[in-house]
Amino acid sequence: MKRRTLIAGAGFAAGAAAVAGLWRYTGLLRHYAPSPYDDLLEQLNDRDQAALLGRQVVGAPDARMMAQELRTRIGKGGLGAAAMADITADRMTEVDGWILPQSVGQLAVLAAKH
Amino acid sequence: MSAFIDARTIPSGTTQTPDLAIIGGGPAGIALAMALADSKLKILLLESGGMNFDPAVQKMYAGSQTGYEPLDGDRLRYLGGGTNHWGGWCRPMDESDFEVRDWVPSSGWPFGRAALEPYYPRAQSLVEAGAWAYDQGGNALATRHGPILPLGKGGVYTSWFQFSKMRGDVLPTQFGHRYEQDLRAQANLTVWLNANVTGIRLAANGTSVDHLDVATLNGRQFTVKPRYTVLACGGIENARLLLVSNDVVKPGIGNAADLVGRYFADNPIPRDVATLVVFGGRLAPYYRDNQDMGHGAILRATFAPSDTWRRQARVAGSLTTVEQTVVLDDVGKAAVATTAAALGVDASSAQAWSLGCGLELIPDPDRRVTLAPEKDALGLPRLKLANSISDEDFARYRHTLAELGRQLLASKAGMLRINCTTRDEWMKNMDWGHHHLGTTRMHDDPRRGVVNSNAMVHGVANLYVAGSSVFPSYSASNPTLNLIALTLRLADYLKAVMA
Repeated sequence: MKRRTLIAGAGFAAGAAAVAGLWRYTGLLRHYAPSPYDDLLEQLNDRDQAALLGRQVVGAPDARMMAQELRTRIGKGGLGAAAMADITADRMTEVDGWILPQSVGQLAVLAAKH
Repeated sequence: MSAFIDARTIPSGTTQTPDLAIIGGGPAGIALAMALADSKLKILLLESGGMNFDPAVQKMYAGSQTGYEPLDGDRLRYLGGGTNHWGGWCRPMDESDFEVRDWVPSSGWPFGRAALEPYYPRAQSLVEAGAWAYDQGGNALATRHGPILPLGKGGVYTSWFQFSKMRGDVLPTQFGHRYEQDLRAQANLTVWLNANVTGIRLAANGTSVDHLDVATLNGRQFTVKPRYTVLACGGIENARLLLVSNDVVKPGIGNAADLVGRYFADNPIPRDVATLVVFGGRLAPYYRDNQDMGHGAILRATFAPSDTWRRQARVAGSLTTVEQTVVLDDVGKAAVATTAAALGVDASSAQAWSLGCGLELIPDPDRRVTLAPEKDALGLPRLKLANSISDEDFARYRHTLAELGRQLLASKAGMLRINCTTRDEWMKNMDWGHHHLGTTRMHDDPRRGVVNSNAMVHGVANLYVAGSSVFPSYSASNPTLNLIALTLRLADYLKAVMA
């Protein structure tokens, strides 16, 4: 094998590893198909983790209704404030046994759908 | 000096006439005898066993059961009774345990916790659980050993168990051995060992005890004619002796309303009911194990529903404890990551523990002991126990767990997963407290109770019952400390009426 080919191959492998690492560990390069709920889903720190949680919800909640409700609840205060408001008002939901603020549970369901 | 006599050596036909006969030498019987040490009463304590385990004596407990453990496997029939194998867990009952709760059928004591308050200090001393440190006292001691897990405002709070000794390999107080010398030193007391009461014989009009039939496994038979009798042989045997003593009153003594043996209960202890995640990863050691806090107090934290919330949310008593660390599955990790991020909390060091629980059952008349056709070595009918847990019992506890989960999130300290939904899941890791409760329940109305608020069997003026069989509703707290306090109250009452 020519030296030039070897260097190019090693460089390609290193580049691929770096890209894979960025994808796996930072989420920077992850791409999601556009959805009508991106304004909500961007509240999530890690959509893949939320989606894994959301997939545990049985049944098929109406995403549009849920999103509408979430937009009202999240408003300008963001997810953190909405979650705390849920907790204070005892608006809780259970996903795979986990006791969650309703807004977190609903966002997880949206993440799982999109 | 009192006499400890092996009844197997007493000639048949002997008759004793004490002021008071105590049937049973468990914690109630021993506490009662000791509480009456300063009285002028001549007391005879009749213990079926000896000083140590004897398989032949133990076998008299054998019976049949459904939904429960073998009847000769979870009791001990020798001096000290159940304290010969107890775990030493102590906690006074809560105020709401005594209340009539319209969401708990057949609940309510004829008096409140205030009636037992004067007796708790002496009971605490007898179980050797150190300084009284439940609730706020525990909080003060605990903070030196690590922070209490913050819970947001709500229905569940950190409460405390205290332990009868149990330091390293030190066992909890076994009343028979621990108090043997005290009993021997008690001048007004005689203890008959290996003496089985086989019948409580009423006078012909059925309103008072005339005498007790006593027998030994080597064939001796005696008569005891006491002025007063206290039945203190445990939550199952108390009912058995009343039921078998049916020669004068056909359904058995105190059983005119068909209540003797009904409303049996125990504290179910389902394990791994929930997973507790602490975002910061640290949990003070007293949540995970018994901790010596000084002042002789060994404490362990438990999550308890407050009285106020129990009334508001209509739940029963429960005491939830931390068991062991667990590893979360991928969904669990996703739940923690998503929720902690939403709350703005760092959960990179999060740790998880499984939770277990002691539950208070809803009183149920169909949970009961009845006489079986089989007989024991002395000819007494054996018992048949029908035990069960309703779905409602689990549902109410689930509500409490959900509230704990909400409060953990409110404080941003952690979160909780409820691991059990179906009946099979609840029953999968089910243990029992071996706390036998309720079979001679207390109520001032003879149609609703076997004994009145002074523990006197309705209609039988000189017969009383001591122990947890009189608990009309049960609490999630372990019964030993509470039944001893109740027995000390009975001792005061007997001192007054027998003087």
